[in-house]
Amino acid sequence: MIADLRRIVGAAQVIERPSALLAYESDALPGYRRRPALAVFPGSREETVAVLRRLAADGIPFVARGAGTGLSGGALADDCVLLGLHRLKRVLEIDPAGRTATVEPGVVNATLTRLVAPHGLHYAPDPSSQSACTIGGNVAENAGGPHCLKYGVTMNHVLRATVALPDGEVVTLDRGDTGGYDLLGAFIGSEGCFGVVLDVTLRLTPNPAAIITLLADFTRLGDAAAATSAIVAAGVLPAALELMDHATIDAVERSIYAAGYPADAAAVLLIELDGAAEGLDGEADRVEALCRASGARGIRRATDPAERARLWQGRKKAFGAMGRVSPHLVVQDAVVPRTQLAALLEEIAAIGERQRVRVCNVFHAGDGNLHPNIPYDADDPDEVARVHAAMREIMERCIAAGGTITGEHGVGLDKLPYMEALFTPPTLEAMCSLREVFDPERRANPGKVVPVHACKEWHAAPSARAAGRTST
Amino acid sequence: MAPNDTRELADFLSETTDGLRIVGAGRWLDAGNPVRAMHTLRLERFAGVRQYVPEDLTISVGAATTLAELDNVTRPHGQWCPLLSWGDDSGTVGATIATATAGPFAASLGRPRDLVLGLECVDGLGRVINAGGQVVKNVAGFDLTRLMTGAWGSLGVITRVHLRLRARPAADETWVLHGDPAALDAFLRGPHAPLAALQLGSAASTASVASFGAVAVAAGADSVHRRLGLDPSARWLLRLGGNAADVNAAVKQLQQLGDCTQHDANIWTLVREHCAPPASATQWDWSPLARRVKHQFDPRGILNPGLLGERA
Ligand SMILES: Cc1cc2nc3c(=O)[nH]c(=O)nc-3n(C[C@H](O)[C@H](O)[C@@H](O)COP(=O)(O)OP(=O)(O)OC[C@H]3O[C@@H](n4cnc5c(N)ncnc54)[C@H](O)[C@@H]3O)c2cc1C
Ligand SMILES: Cc1cc2nc3c(=O)[nH]c(=O)nc-3n(C[C@H](O)[C@H](O)[C@H](O)COP(=O)(O)OP(=O)(O)OC[C@H]3O[C@@H](n4cnc5c(N)ncnc54)[C@H](O)[C@@H]3O)c2cc1C
Repeated sequence: MIADLRRIVGAAQVIERPSALLAYESDALPGYRRRPALAVFPGSREETVAVLRRLAADGIPFVARGAGTGLSGGALADDCVLLGLHRLKRVLEIDPAGRTATVEPGVVNATLTRLVAPHGLHYAPDPSSQSACTIGGNVAENAGGPHCLKYGVTMNHVLRATVALPDGEVVTLDRGDTGGYDLLGAFIGSEGCFGVVLDVTLRLTPNPAAIITLLADFTRLGDAAAATSAIVAAGVLPAALELMDHATIDAVERSIYAAGYPADAAAVLLIELDGAAEGLDGEADRVEALCRASGARGIRRATDPAERARLWQGRKKAFGAMGRVSPHLVVQDAVVPRTQLAALLEEIAAIGERQRVRVCNVFHAGDGNLHPNIPYDADDPDEVARVHAAMREIMERCIAAGGTITGEHGVGLDKLPYMEALFTPPTLEAMCSLREVFDPERRANPGKVVPVHACKEWHAAPSARAAGRTST
Repeated sequence: MAPNDTRELADFLSETTDGLRIVGAGRWLDAGNPVRAMHTLRLERFAGVRQYVPEDLTISVGAATTLAELDNVTRPHGQWCPLLSWGDDSGTVGATIATATAGPFAASLGRPRDLVLGLECVDGLGRVINAGGQVVKNVAGFDLTRLMTGAWGSLGVITRVHLRLRARPAADETWVLHGDPAALDAFLRGPHAPLAALQLGSAASTASVASFGAVAVAAGADSVHRRLGLDPSARWLLRLGGNAADVNAAVKQLQQLGDCTQHDANIWTLVREHCAPPASATQWDWSPLARRVKHQFDPRGILNPGLLGERA
């Protein structure tokens, strides 16, 4: 079989050596490591389909991978064939008049925006990993980002997709607008379990006429959370509304990404307003007043691009900055109703204290999408245990508050243990039914998203190494 | 058959082998193919607001709640549910989601698919499915919410819906444009995105219609003008919403583009009742994948049999 794969993609694009596979043992969440049996890197759509057909012939499971920036352990190929798609990076069409672009899955998110910038357009979903993550990974994760508060997540921007089902059949999925099930909607966010994205047609968004970025500075974390809720409840819809707590500010300001945030603040809110120039100043005044009424100590207003970029750099590089604090980092991704944010942040702080771990909060406050991060040392078993206990407690609180366990990073491996707390057995079974439609043999990203035992007739996927051996 | 609650409905669906015709308010039942059903499944007992926290801008309602009631409840809080569908407001939320009916505001305020955060439904096997959630962002598990939205009840009976709300715009003005269609094209490409744009009459459709979510009402244009009480030179109906400065600037731009007059906002009620572009479930795409979906969720074919034209 390996010989066949080499014939399809070229000898250099198949990796078998354990030392070379090491690079693919984890994604951006280094707490999980799984060794692929083999890695294959097709260079075109045709090669991708041929690889899938060849794997199907032997019943071999596989895991698609984009840039590997996932934060839920989703792209790990435990004993499977890792199918790297970063070489599929052609931009097939840009239609500035119709405001759409069709691209292959390996195109990097930020590259697309750079390419369409001359037309006054951009691709709105902007994960903080946008300089590295791929459109295919974005579609598979239904990725969000700071500007998704106003502009919506990946789901709201994908018009059509061509995908290869796990057996190699190529189908076009659309939104069902013209009479049909919304198979595209079902596919987006399926975390590589339904098939492989071959190309997607995306909606492009006109750049706003004007932008104002505000940095509101708070001496109490709860006040910043309350301000968030007040702004949204007042009917203002900022383009972005991000919160960073003291621990995060500290990490950022002591790193090369220092953005000039007030070092002694308990929290800052980074608020961006955009739209037509005429009404924007008034809107910013309103937001300022709401922040002050919630207890803001001071507010900075950036209107020139350089200062705005500086304020954003700290936010977008906050995860990286935490690398200074400890060698490892876990990132949680829960969502709660916005009115519960203040209470939840207090509980998270209490959990952190009780478990003696340092929690850094940096998150999409406008969406209620929390990202408690815990830097830790993976070589300290006692600390690892406390980190896990803290994570579990945080998740339980978020579920109890009417929230969910992931707002944008996906379930992957990391959030599997919470799926049964969130969904009833019939609902999980129905999810398995949906998967059955696309991947009846369960060879695409096996063992992810839905706990194996939650599906009535689930059978474990065969080992790729074993299958590969018998047929080489 | 009019079940009292989800449990009763689930018990019934897990046992019956007869075809069922699902009915909300029953206002738009003939939009598909004839349904061959033994029973009528009425959902009137699934009415009412279950949870509403205005500060969160979300609401959870029983499927039989009417669009009118939803509006009555949210209006005092300066909010609305952008599911301002075609037809009138006597239809139910469940049916609007089940049919994915998107009215003239879909392009700016969101289509049903963008507004449903989660739902409860009972599928053809009697499984009570709680899809999605009540928060505005959620990627936990596979997306059954999207699957059920627009499935015309052929995969499950929707019993409860969690929706995203929006703030009503501070300024909300309706303008009629008599000018040249190309001028409107320039407007739509500018910084002032309207809440709704309706092209009246069968004039050569501009690029705007397709690219900007503007809605064209071409067929029977004359009678549309008459029903809306507009003179025949009216080419476009625009609804501008946002903060006052914004809307003023938009109006100024419109006035530079051509001849326009302000109109009473009540006209949108008439628009929704009389201008709906033909939409129905008669042209269903039964791809092999779609058939597999149907088989997974309603293997006995008891839900709205025949509505989507599937062969028995
Ligand atoms: C006269 C008129 C014309 C219309 N024309 C259009 C149009 O051209 N285009 C357009 O997009 N919309 C149109 N609509 C849409 C309509 O406004 C909405 O779909 C909705 O308001 C209908 O609500 P209902 O409760 O009366 O639906 P019903 O007529 O009761 O049901 C509509 C369909 O949805 C199914 N259904 C109902 N409730 C559920 C449920 N809880 N779970 C699963 N399935 C369910 C039914 O089986 C049926 O197939 C029209 C409405 C009217 C009254
Ligand atoms: C610093 C940092 C910041 C981040 N910020 C955000 C953020 O703001 N918002 C957000 O949503 N996420 C964020 N993420 C998470 C991550 O970047 C996103 O989930 C992204 O979409 C993953 O893309 P990728 O190309 O790296 O995919 P990978 O990590 O390679 O894969 C992710 C999943 O997608 C599947 N997959 C990949 N390509 C395909 C394909 N072509 N077809 C089918 N399935 C495929 C994989 O099987 C896997 O399940 C962040 C990550 C980091 C490291």
